[in-house]
Amino acid sequence: MNTRFIDWIWHIRGSLALAPGQSSDEAFDKLDPLFREAGTSHERSRDTLTFRKKDQAAQDKMSVFDGGVLQIETGAAGAVLRYHLISRALLFCFLAPLLFLSFAGLTIGIGILEKPSIEAAAAKKDKKKEKAVVPLNPIDRFLGAPAPEKPKKDDKDKSEEQKKKYSPTPAYVFAGFFAILYVVGRILEDRLIKSLFKKKLLDQ
Amino acid sequence: MDGVRVGKRVIGAQAPVIVGWENMPKVEGGPVKRFIFTWFQPTMLFALLAFWYYAPNSIAKASTAIGIGIGFKILLLMLEWVNPRHGSWRLTWKEFTTDLFYVGLGYTVLKTVDIYIGDGAIIEAIQNAFDWEKFAWFIGLPLLLQAFLISFIFDFGQYWMHRGMHNWHPLWLTHAPHHYITQLNINKGAVGNPVELFLIGLGVGGFFDFLPRAVLLAGTLRLAVGTYQHINVRFNTPRWWRFLFNTTEHHSLHHSQDYEASRSNYSGTWIIIDRMFGTCVDGEAELLGMEGGRRMSIREAMVYPFTEGWKAFKERYVRSDRPVVVPAE
Repeated sequence: MNTRFIDWIWHIRGSLALAPGQSSDEAFDKLDPLFREAGTSHERSRDTLTFRKKDQAAQDKMSVFDGGVLQIETGAAGAVLRYHLISRALLFCFLAPLLFLSFAGLTIGIGILEKPSIEAAAAKKDKKKEKAVVPLNPIDRFLGAPAPEKPKKDDKDKSEEQKKKYSPTPAYVFAGFFAILYVVGRILEDRLIKSLFKKKLLDQ
Repeated sequence: MDGVRVGKRVIGAQAPVIVGWENMPKVEGGPVKRFIFTWFQPTMLFALLAFWYYAPNSIAKASTAIGIGIGFKILLLMLEWVNPRHGSWRLTWKEFTTDLFYVGLGYTVLKTVDIYIGDGAIIEAIQNAFDWEKFAWFIGLPLLLQAFLISFIFDFGQYWMHRGMHNWHPLWLTHAPHHYITQLNINKGAVGNPVELFLIGLGVGGFFDFLPRAVLLAGTLRLAVGTYQHINVRFNTPRWWRFLFNTTEHHSLHHSQDYEASRSNYSGTWIIIDRMFGTCVDGEAELLGMEGGRRMSIREAMVYPFTEGWKAFKERYVRSDRPVVVPAE
């Protein structure tokens, strides 16, 4: 399958013009410290640098990427650095909403399966015993804390409480979070890596 | 590295740590900044306690507590941005996303699993089997005392579970992924293997009958004290606070790359429990993690206890048929 049409989800491509007169060796020398981090291996030929990262530290400035290729092309307008970087974190974040939606489906499913036992338990609990009203400790009464509510008699609240345990809402909320985070990450990491390469290349 | 002798142990022989409050950096900046980061922790704690103590019954509910918890954590994330303890602990997009994934698991799958095998289910089963009426006196105690006891008893159980995890290999395998974090941020407490998160959540406090308000107050202690275990903010924490409560300094030492330092400060909220049992070390560390700071992926964190457990089982019980190689001399 040609993944070219969808791989923008986790592949970041870009280009940067090198400073006039900057050779590929000079440019790669300046970028070199980025590939000397723990868990990073890299190979360099005259105009291509290939790297791979495994278990990269959170402090690694390129930690979001797991591998990639940097190439320097010389054209009529001067030399240009072209990069193609791969991020499993971006792919994971893109798929995370689907995972949480499946959790929501699972919770709904379990809730349906448990419905008869929830209703039975609510009815049973109601018959069991009624808790006495507990007076507030005199110290708390003196300090003005509100008295506790009388125990509720209707089993409606109890079964509502039980049903809440099987609510899919948190899973929907997290699916939403990850959808937003993906969009933020895809734009942010694209910009950050460009500015990082730019900063390193222009570094005197 | 020489390390520092603390009691019978030498702390910091393998990785850099700071031992002793007098050696730790203070908040830097103008008077307003220093004022805020000196008084923030006690002000928030007492304000939240007062809120839960006096809030009318219509407001004093679990849903309000969840809302306040989320709001408080967002505020702390902003403080991390304004006044980070270490630049190397700055939250990146990847770190935030990874942490949020573990938080998400806690709010969804783990919550569902907990209904069936969590401490609530176990306690209900035991309570149904025995007559626990004799514990009814607990409910008549002053609210703050009830809250303290709920919090302290839970933390006491958690202390021993956590200490057990650092001393017994099968339990350690569940806890190890949490020690592969290389920085402390607000949501890092959720990072780890789900089996560990389930084990550490087991508490004995649930055996007592208590007023709902006391539970909310106990939850506030956990929120307004325990949350600071994992945070990238420098505070001038008051002396009484760091004597009683766990702090990010204590917990950073617990996460240090130094083995001896990591075998200290096991409690969640009450560091005084560590003082009681001689495991408290007052200090801090910046270089955190295992294996020299290798960051564990989510995939590895999910399977680690099982893959490493299987390896350990094979080494111990499965006889290897390979011939033993004797080194030539």
